[in-house]
Amino acid sequence: MKFCRLLITLLFFGGYQTSYAVPLVSGISSNEINVDTEFKGAQILLFGAKSDAGNIVITVRGPRKDFIVSKKQQLLGIWYNGERISFKNSYSFYSLFSTFNNGQTIEENLSDFELGKNNIKFESSPNLAPAKINEFRIQLVELLENKNFFAKGTKKIDFLDETLFKVMIDFPKNILLGTYIVEIYLINNGTILSYQSIPIFVNQVGMSAKISEFAYNQAVLYGLLAVFIAIFVGYLTNYFFVKFIKK
Amino acid sequence: MQVYLPIAEIPVNIFLILALGLITGFMAGMFGIGGGFLATPFLIFIGVPPAVAVSTSTNQIISASVSGLLAHFKKSNVDIKMGIFLAIGGMIGSSVGVTIFRFLQGAGQIDLVIGITYVLFLGIISLTMLSDSFKNFIDKKFGMDWQHRFDEKVKFQWLLRKIEKLPFKTYFSKSEVYISILVPIFLSFGIGILVSIMGIGGGFLMIPAMIYILQMPSHLVVGTSLFQIIFIASNATFLQAISGNNVDIVLGILMIISSAFGAQIGSRVAYRVDANATRTFLAVLLLLICFKMLFQLFNEPTNIYSLEILK
Repeated sequence: MKFCRLLITLLFFGGYQTSYAVPLVSGISSNEINVDTEFKGAQILLFGAKSDAGNIVITVRGPRKDFIVSKKQQLLGIWYNGERISFKNSYSFYSLFSTFNNGQTIEENLSDFELGKNNIKFESSPNLAPAKINEFRIQLVELLENKNFFAKGTKKIDFLDETLFKVMIDFPKNILLGTYIVEIYLINNGTILSYQSIPIFVNQVGMSAKISEFAYNQAVLYGLLAVFIAIFVGYLTNYFFVKFIKK
Repeated sequence: MQVYLPIAEIPVNIFLILALGLITGFMAGMFGIGGGFLATPFLIFIGVPPAVAVSTSTNQIISASVSGLLAHFKKSNVDIKMGIFLAIGGMIGSSVGVTIFRFLQGAGQIDLVIGITYVLFLGIISLTMLSDSFKNFIDKKFGMDWQHRFDEKVKFQWLLRKIEKLPFKTYFSKSEVYISILVPIFLSFGIGILVSIMGIGGGFLMIPAMIYILQMPSHLVVGTSLFQIIFIASNATFLQAISGNNVDIVLGILMIISSAFGAQIGSRVAYRVDANATRTFLAVLLLLICFKMLFQLFNEPTNIYSLEILK
């Protein structure tokens, strides 16, 4: 795990330094978010400096997941999950900051990079009608926005002077675990002058994290343990009540 | 004090869960039935996902049954041979039940099916109990005799005649019955399916069936039923844990300990209160839960679209 992280960090940091070193430099206040039972959400500060003219776009993208969107329907008055469409391997977190005044510009310039909410790719079954997929896709984005996983609209970037900028990235308390990637682009006249990518690792820590990890990774042992504890406690309570508390 | 449930993935107040376990255990100890019937809906009402509520409830049933069984063992009130045949059917039934459960979960319909089965069974049970209580009340008040006008066993005559003809007959010396082994196996097969889908012990069906269909003497019925429930509930819990990760061990332990205490207190109180009045109270409670779950089935959701994020 540690090695894996080091590798990812090297890949991302190493990558940008060799290819585009000069016009854009930035860093973040922390590479790690530890989620425990008391977790109330987190904020990470991103700061940087640009030495060239151009616009800055910052995206934060979270781990790819599979999603199912269901639409409730009524049968004899009872609500049930009717149509269900699954979307595979899509970002579960998305946040966009930019110095472009006009969202349209981003959409046009950067669709290849999956920048802009409407450019995020959601894979679904090709056999479905495009209108249907579109309906559910819009709902998926809205549901992710309601969970605060997707940011609504584009957020502004704060400039301290001509070159120095900062943004605050918000992570909600119900955040999913995994690797989040912050990407910073410097764009001028539709070309990327500089690009930097920084990972943020969201880990679960504490007792409940260990239990859920155990439940998923060692399911057989976990199941046996659940049964064994129940039998043992049943035995204990009987023993306790027979021994110490008479009718 | 808040505690985070690792599998249900919600924070809950620890005292709320302990109180819940105490109440359901108390009821179960007092009436001998209804532990799962109260625990599962209560857990759903406080926001535990229905699938987790059901699976964790089966985990709790193991504990309650072990505790009860030990008391019956001491009095030698268990027909182990019958219990083993019931356990065989129950193991197969609960395996089938968990498979159905997982299929429904994959199809996004498990919450609905849990809701509907609860409304149905809670409705039937509470109304039957209420009408029994009413008849009892009339009996006492006016000296009428509604209940014993005809023998309950008459209803099952046609079934018993069919059972007579089944092969693989064997003698159960403890119960002193001569019956085909297929009967206990099929019986607990069906109940095992229900146990895994609803997270109940199934005693409310198993006990009358043991008396009227298996023709067992009534003093062996409860102990033998508890004996086989341990196998069914253990199998269901284990399969839920390995196939669906639905068992929340933290929630389970909290419920197990508090309900064990509740059950011990309940069984002591049961001797001191008017049986008919407490029965009526339980019936009304079950009916209220039934109405609440019925309302949830018909209540328009705030958002007709819902999202599942797969692991």
